[in-house]
Amino acid sequence: MARVLETKRGSRFLLGGLVLAHLVVISRQVERSGGTSLLGQTVFAVLSPFQRVVGATMGAVTATWSGYFDLRHVYRENQDLRSRVASLEMELQRQQDQLREAERLREIADVKPTLPFETVVAQVIATEGVPWFHNVTLSRGRDDGVSLNAPVISTTGVVGRVVAVGPHAAKVQLLLDHESGLGVRIERSRITAVVSGQAGFADQVGNLLAMKYVPVLADVSVGDVVVTSGLDRMFPKGLMVGRVQSARSGGGLFKEILVAPSARFERLEELMVIRTRPEELAWTQEVRPPEPKPAPRATARTTPKAR
Amino acid sequence: MKVFWTALAIVAALLVQTALGRVFPLQARLFDPFLLVVVYCGLTGGETHGMLAGAAAGWVQDVHFGGRILGLSALSKLLVGFAVGVGSTRFHLAEPAARLLVIIVATLVDAVLFGQLAKVFDVQSYELSPLALMVRSLVNGAAGMVVFETFDRQLRRWMVRA
Repeated sequence: MARVLETKRGSRFLLGGLVLAHLVVISRQVERSGGTSLLGQTVFAVLSPFQRVVGATMGAVTATWSGYFDLRHVYRENQDLRSRVASLEMELQRQQDQLREAERLREIADVKPTLPFETVVAQVIATEGVPWFHNVTLSRGRDDGVSLNAPVISTTGVVGRVVAVGPHAAKVQLLLDHESGLGVRIERSRITAVVSGQAGFADQVGNLLAMKYVPVLADVSVGDVVVTSGLDRMFPKGLMVGRVQSARSGGGLFKEILVAPSARFERLEELMVIRTRPEELAWTQEVRPPEPKPAPRATARTTPKAR
Repeated sequence: MKVFWTALAIVAALLVQTALGRVFPLQARLFDPFLLVVVYCGLTGGETHGMLAGAAAGWVQDVHFGGRILGLSALSKLLVGFAVGVGSTRFHLAEPAARLLVIIVATLVDAVLFGQLAKVFDVQSYELSPLALMVRSLVNGAAGMVVFETFDRQLRRWMVRA
């Protein structure tokens, strides 16, 4: 068999067969519009524990590395004090890490009881590996009650949704992804819209969301709070998404609106996955985690209100 | 044995990509260890080995880092692996400079193929700007040179010992 494949003709047949098989597999997924194949689930389930180990190891290595960096200056200044400062710095680093972790967990502990649905806290074990998509992998999976399409939130806002789930890990599509979509509402004027990641080159789009399908005459101002509308039957109503950063009338029927997300996508560490199923959620109830302190944004463009 | 080493290399690529993503999330996008595995397999094992390694590496990459539709990286890497394999049987690509060129071209072709396949299947994926794509090619090229050279040297040592 192997010899047959090694021949020129055999390899051409194999190439044709494989290309055809891939086209069929991809097409079937497109028809099904989402979800992962059995093969995909199996590979994900088998290999995600390795990622988990590497994620944890790299966390430890990073902490040690940054500790070492802090020590370099001390080494130059005073050789005699080096060992003493090293141990103190390492201890400080460890305590600071613990403090930061405790703060993050306290934030989650403060927010979690106020949410009218069941959540599970998960750690980010892998971040985006390819430029084509915005995904992260979480340390919790099907065995922890995480299901496909489950909403994922942080203490400051909506992060994304689960797009693949294994026994002990889950892949989350971030709101920043071009292919994501989330039903939202502007809290002040109650206008509904959809937000997703911006279009453009991966290395050039920033951490901003594009708000789509807002009529050019709609009442939208810079700084307006954007929350989930619940109309997508996936996310609970009233979760904080972000604030309008710029709104301008484009050439067409809709406004061009950019939203600064309230979730801190540049440092995602502990997240909450909502376990309650969409049909069990109370749609009339608005929930909103405490807002973070507004960070100054230099590039805010102000636009007069549309009439 | 070939299958074992290829599988090991793919798992290693997955772990490298995961580790890089943790430490340098933005820069990790400019490096594709899976592609290096595919190119190396194509260069040393021919078209069949190249395309099978490409399909396997692409699937692992799709499952772990891909989007909603799986198989796009697998198909693009399958074709890249095949092309590199065909090239390696027709041209002398053992020299470091030739290999560098192969990696650069393979990176560009992989990105273009992926983008076009995503369009065909109506998958909204991001693309890299020409500058970022060039940087990705050079980063892959530089890393590939080091990795390939190290592997070859190690392989020669083992063969001499054997």
